[in-house]
Amino acid sequence: MLGIALKMLMGDRVKYLGLALGIGFATLLMTQQTSIFIGLLTWGANPVLDVREAQVWVMDPRVRQADQPEAISDQALYRVRSVDGVAWAAPYYRGPSTLRSADGALAAVTLIGLDNQSLIGLPPSGRAAAAEAIRGRNAIIVDRNTARLIFSDGRDPVGQTAEINDNRVTIAGETRALTAFAGLPIVYMKYTDAISVTPPERNKLSYVLVGARAGVSPEELAARIEAATGLRAQTRSQFARAGVDYIINNTGIPLSFGIAIGLGVVVAVVITALTLAMFITENLKNFGALKAIGVTNGQILQMVMGQAWLVGFIGYGLGIGGTAAFIYFGRSDPSLQGFSLHWQVVAGAAVLVFAIVTASAFFSVRRVLKMDPAIVFRG
Amino acid sequence: MQAARADNVVMEFESGGDRIRVLHGVSLDIPFGAITFLVGPSGSGKTTMLSILSGTLSPTEGAVEVMGERLDRMSDAALVRFRRRRIGFIFQQYNLIGTLTAGENAAIPLIADGVPAAQAVQRAEAALARLGLADHVRKFPRQLSGGQQQRVAIARALVHEPALIVCDEPTAALDAEAGQGVMRLLEEAAKSADRAVLVVTHDDRIYRFADRILSIEDGRIVSPPASSSEDQRHAH
Repeated sequence: MLGIALKMLMGDRVKYLGLALGIGFATLLMTQQTSIFIGLLTWGANPVLDVREAQVWVMDPRVRQADQPEAISDQALYRVRSVDGVAWAAPYYRGPSTLRSADGALAAVTLIGLDNQSLIGLPPSGRAAAAEAIRGRNAIIVDRNTARLIFSDGRDPVGQTAEINDNRVTIAGETRALTAFAGLPIVYMKYTDAISVTPPERNKLSYVLVGARAGVSPEELAARIEAATGLRAQTRSQFARAGVDYIINNTGIPLSFGIAIGLGVVVAVVITALTLAMFITENLKNFGALKAIGVTNGQILQMVMGQAWLVGFIGYGLGIGGTAAFIYFGRSDPSLQGFSLHWQVVAGAAVLVFAIVTASAFFSVRRVLKMDPAIVFRG
Repeated sequence: MQAARADNVVMEFESGGDRIRVLHGVSLDIPFGAITFLVGPSGSGKTTMLSILSGTLSPTEGAVEVMGERLDRMSDAALVRFRRRRIGFIFQQYNLIGTLTAGENAAIPLIADGVPAAQAVQRAEAALARLGLADHVRKFPRQLSGGQQQRVAIARALVHEPALIVCDEPTAALDAEAGQGVMRLLEEAAKSADRAVLVVTHDDRIYRFADRILSIEDGRIVSPPASSSEDQRHAH
């Protein structure tokens, strides 16, 4: 009877295509918006995740996320280094600044100052060349992904001169940083250079980056640093998570994406439920005839579920394919960096679509299951 | 043994909180090897009686026996199985599924009973060929005339070789010539000694095909089976 059911459905091309495309659109909406949402949340964690060497970040207790540092005293670096279990500790500057290119264009940037010797915090992409280039006086390394925001005419920025806070700098190289939620171009300098080109303040040190000695866990080391210095110390994962939490708690992003994802669910439910209900209503007499002939309720349930699952499967495939294409073709666009279709999203959407079409089919078919087969004899 | 028997059948329906009695103790017999007509005006209860005799409706009171089995005592599942195997249905509007071919439509009772689809369609196509539709087995209902569609419905009713064929106004949607053609096929089907055909109709153009005519009015048989004799055949 399943074969008959599928022929019944596919013969009604308008409804068949309507169902498949509707579910496809809803799946696309749900998975694409979820993928972008997860990508944006990841951007909140990226300033921390981009510094791969640091196991513990030490900061002012008021800091809520990596892009909003509160300067701490330079002495903090030495106090941290004296804590038992610290293998190394390096200064790290991160703050907003302005950069004026040679043609006079002004751009807000995130300036990162790296420890002069170790250059801890320099992204691994092209690290050797960048590490060599950054060592020159007032040399800067620009992030290739966001450099277009400064040099929109497409010129190669390397070798050009620029000004940071009226200090002349040379663009000595490029690297590729993970996209941060702030979205500003990222510029790297040596720590001492970064300190010298930023406006005078009593304290300028943003973070102390720490590596743990062998046998000491980051959590344990963070607790020791907090106890010894009174500063806040968080492991890499804790601080990365804080960046994600900051977006969740302080922006409208979860709500707006939640609405979009919810709309996807609503579209799927409405299209599936209404179209299936319409299909069943139009075929009510035929279902009545089938019941009279001796087709059981179980067989009818199997028929309708088979129809729903087939269009659900096709629609889901179209939707997931659309999202995969969006991410695949969008990966060259810097504004979509870091977005990916996680298997959890694929699996979650599959479960959701399956549940929606199953529930819709069940509610639609209840009328047939309860129907008196003698209806077929009535006018 | 009669093909079907109804003994003092009462049928009541709920309507707006009231109970409406549409059959008032109907008793009748349907013999083997004959076409029995159940005739009467609209609302007389003939379709209700047909539904009860075909096992698609359970009576409020009374006994219903088809092929020696008491339908009124069967479970729902047994009733569905009984209908699938022992009864053939022909509906006024044919009730063919538009997206299935004639062969597939006629094969439905077999497929529903678990016969593999390919085998079922093969048997259905053979049944269609016997009804003169050999060239139309792959056509969809919309490609067939009304008479041809009703012949497909007859093939569907005969394909599983049922003992009782129930027909609800089988010629109402057909012109006179097509209606006569359909009735000749049913007449042929009824010739078998182990088969009976029950036709509910008010199309007096086909009364001449009846072996027996039972008339029902206001939920009561007004002409007893005994009075509907062979003499009535060809009377019209």
